[in-house]
Amino acid sequence: MAKYLLKRSAQILVTLFVFLSLVFFIVNAQPGDVSNFYALNPDVPPETRERLQDLFGVNEPLWKQYLVHLKNTFTGNFGISFSHYPRSVADVIGERLPRTVVLFMTATALSFYLGFGLGKVVAWRRGGWFEYTSTVSGVTLYTVFTPWFGLMMIWLFAFKAGWFPIGKFLDPVLWRDAPIDANSVFTQMIITAFAVSFVVLTVFVITAQKRMSNARIIRIVSMVLATLAVVAVWMSWGTVSYAWDILRHMVLPVATLTLISFAGTMLLTRNSMLETMREDFVMAARAKGLPESAVRDKHVARNALLPVVTSFIFSLAFAVDGGVITESIFSWPGMGQTLVSATLTEDLPLAVGAFVFVGIFVLVAHLVADILYAYLDPRIRY
Amino acid sequence: MATVNAQPAVPSSVWRARLRLASRSVRENWGLFVRTRIGLLGLAIIAMYALLAVAHPVLMSTVWEPRIYDPVIGYAFDETKQPAPPSLKHPLGTDPLGRDILSQLMFSARSEFLLGLLAATVTVVIGTSVGAIAAYFGGWVDTILMRLADIMIMMPAISVLIVLSALIGVEHFELALLIGILSGFGATGVVLKSQALSVVVKPYIDAARSAGGGHFHIILVHIVPNLLPLSFLYMMFTVTSAIFSEAVLSFLGLLNVRMSWGLMIHTTESAGYLLQVAEFWWLIFPASLSITLLCSAFYLVGRSLDEVVNPRLRSR
Amino acid sequence: MTTDPVLAVDDLKMHYVTQAGVVRAVDGVSFSVERGQSLGLVGESGCGKSSIAMTLLKLLPDNARLVAGSIALNGIDLVPLSEDEMRPHRWDRISMVFQAAMNSLDPVYRVGDQIVEALEAHSSSAGRDAMERVRELFDLVSLDPSYILRYPHEYSGGMRQRAIIAMALACEPDIIIADEPTTALDVIVQDHILREMQTIQHSLEMSMIYISHDMAVIAEVCDVVGVMYAGKLVEFGPTADVYARPIHPYTRALMSAFPSVRGEKHELVTLPGEPPNLLDPPGGCAFNPRCAYATDECRTTAPPIVKRGDQWAACWNPSDE
Repeated sequence: MAKYLLKRSAQILVTLFVFLSLVFFIVNAQPGDVSNFYALNPDVPPETRERLQDLFGVNEPLWKQYLVHLKNTFTGNFGISFSHYPRSVADVIGERLPRTVVLFMTATALSFYLGFGLGKVVAWRRGGWFEYTSTVSGVTLYTVFTPWFGLMMIWLFAFKAGWFPIGKFLDPVLWRDAPIDANSVFTQMIITAFAVSFVVLTVFVITAQKRMSNARIIRIVSMVLATLAVVAVWMSWGTVSYAWDILRHMVLPVATLTLISFAGTMLLTRNSMLETMREDFVMAARAKGLPESAVRDKHVARNALLPVVTSFIFSLAFAVDGGVITESIFSWPGMGQTLVSATLTEDLPLAVGAFVFVGIFVLVAHLVADILYAYLDPRIRY
Repeated sequence: MATVNAQPAVPSSVWRARLRLASRSVRENWGLFVRTRIGLLGLAIIAMYALLAVAHPVLMSTVWEPRIYDPVIGYAFDETKQPAPPSLKHPLGTDPLGRDILSQLMFSARSEFLLGLLAATVTVVIGTSVGAIAAYFGGWVDTILMRLADIMIMMPAISVLIVLSALIGVEHFELALLIGILSGFGATGVVLKSQALSVVVKPYIDAARSAGGGHFHIILVHIVPNLLPLSFLYMMFTVTSAIFSEAVLSFLGLLNVRMSWGLMIHTTESAGYLLQVAEFWWLIFPASLSITLLCSAFYLVGRSLDEVVNPRLRSR
Repeated sequence: MTTDPVLAVDDLKMHYVTQAGVVRAVDGVSFSVERGQSLGLVGESGCGKSSIAMTLLKLLPDNARLVAGSIALNGIDLVPLSEDEMRPHRWDRISMVFQAAMNSLDPVYRVGDQIVEALEAHSSSAGRDAMERVRELFDLVSLDPSYILRYPHEYSGGMRQRAIIAMALACEPDIIIADEPTTALDVIVQDHILREMQTIQHSLEMSMIYISHDMAVIAEVCDVVGVMYAGKLVEFGPTADVYARPIHPYTRALMSAFPSVRGEKHELVTLPGEPPNLLDPPGGCAFNPRCAYATDECRTTAPPIVKRGDQWAACWNPSDE
């Protein structure tokens, strides 16, 4: 396992290198240098412009510029954003990256859970109208024009029904006199979510491995305790209403992203289940007198999961693109929305910075998925 | 020297035999394709849009007056208020700039098809070459091509296009090229390589090699034809992603195109009608549904081709 | 051997319904197995041997129909049982050693856990008791107990087959069906495993059904043998009798297609032709197109049963040597 992960990490590092070189190449392929873009902006004083020229080394030979570009990337120095002048690109990205990560992770987890669960059922009820309708509606969701779908979600649930806010990250009216800024509340939320999932996961893994007979009770008790702890901590912070506001803003983008990406998993799961069902060990599991649900969940689905995860790794870039589109529809201030708006306002340093981070994000997600896969498949684990 | 002299004759007869076999297998596979049902649904939708695309120039030169109906510079002088709701003269109404929606829709269909076709062709040419070459030569050629594929697979295509549109300005041609390169060197190349691997080990490749066939000759005559069914399938998926990407980019206003389905929604958005879905439905639904339908259609065709090519998925 | 049989199969018919028509995979088969006895079913591939195995456990694909007959296991007929009623019998009373040992273990679970799973499905003994039982079983099939917590891919082919046998023994069933238990293994391992299975069978007083295309394997381990052709039993009797003096021409053809180690030297003769298409089997005796002795009767009318002691065959022109 260590060897496998080392190899994958090395490959991903090489990929990162090639990716950064590619970015450099793309940026330099256009006429003029980066500082020309700054020259067009009246907000940027000349001395800042000179500093930026130094930063990017525009007067140096090309190979030196390349090295400077790599160094800047690794030190997180992408220059100054002029649509957010005088904030630095790194500062803007530092604020927005967590928002993207949270949105993406929540939607991915939900869509995987939903898609895998439904795909299982579809495969088990092979043939007939059920399969036909689920395939057609699955494909429709998978290929639906995302902006339109997001728009319909906004129109239906926010505009007409008024259940949720129309896009954005928070409600400015509520936050005007807030004693705390949005990023701190968001950090609190991330820490809470992380801590809770860590505790719950640990309890589940331990009870499963130790073969405890009262596993279920332990799990329920631990979940109740975790919930109580969360309530207590948030009461002491006193920021519940603000967190609630952010949560409300999260619902629609998460739901949209989940719906457009779950169908792919569902269709894949169905195919993978159908292939696994023909394996001999499935017959063996039946012969052992296991109930049908155990055959399906413990044996067929567990094995069908492997190719689904592989394909999921393959389609990560596609999923991230989905996130980029969803963010810009819902004005969710994450990396995707930043990328689009920076591009539209010709804020080149921010656009390049955001793009580099979107790329790094895909790479890291890739690595995480690889680790997950290695954990799921004992043939790789050992 | 004899083998060299004999060679020109071989390809033509091989190709003729292959053509005969192909026409038979097409007939058999058509039966399988029909049985999946979803493939026919896809074909019907594609046919409908193809018809719209073909009909547009005909209508423009006969019944539709260009001054009014031109999809880009036309203006519906016959309507008092823009955007106008659907009427007999304008079956899908007009847009905020007074242009006929149906005409825009039909005009764009053609460019969507051209875009999809170009992207798919680039994908297949690159993907087939990459697959065949990587499988045939193996070794470091294979390693380099597959590492490159890893990188392509990890490229978020739309994000790349967004950045490129800021730097160099992207039109349909560049878009198709880029989608084709990403897919051909990426996922399609990988899939076709694994298919090519199963061909390379066949005895007739050895036979061709010992008969003195050159690398290029063997790849072109013996390996590539065996990859064609699978690459045809991946063409369908590429068309889907090309149309989808085009729509997203032009919706965001990042593409230099005169008219497209994505741009129609962009126009709606910049005119501020985006959330008046019920009141101005014709500004949103025709274009959005067209994008979704055509993407789904190509995807459905690809999916049922998958069931034809991949017997493990077939129901017994 | 006068007690009630462990398994009594009577006129069993199982058909597959396909788009091309009805395949009569098991077409009126009757036999019984006494306690401690081992029965061999032999025949070419595609003659319905494996279909019988699947039918006895009622593990049938969707397009299979149990048309007629009964399967009495300890006097209980399994045929009318529903899936839920059938489940407790599987593995607990009748278990199976699968044809493809390589693929009958789930690759993502430890082998020990897969045996525990079978135990837990049939008794309340869970947790430590079950692990203890797995240890016993590993001992019984001479597998290193340190392999209990290993995954199938870490096992060699022979070890996997042993693990499968251990799993089949887990609930101490009355009868085990072994479908080509050693076909995929090399000859030496094959011999070892067959011997061990025999020893275990005798010590536990279990009944066995061996299914194989290999006459030599059957000769080595079976008390009784049934020869199958086109979904039917064509000859049945004590192994020694059948091998010494086969009645049915098909049995003789099978015998001469295999070299015998101890018997006298003879030319190996391959049987011409292929097993019949079960979609449309030949009329009369299904073997007639390939039979050197076929007469007009063979082509039109089902053959009568010819008896000789405990041995019988269905044939118009029985060998009377």
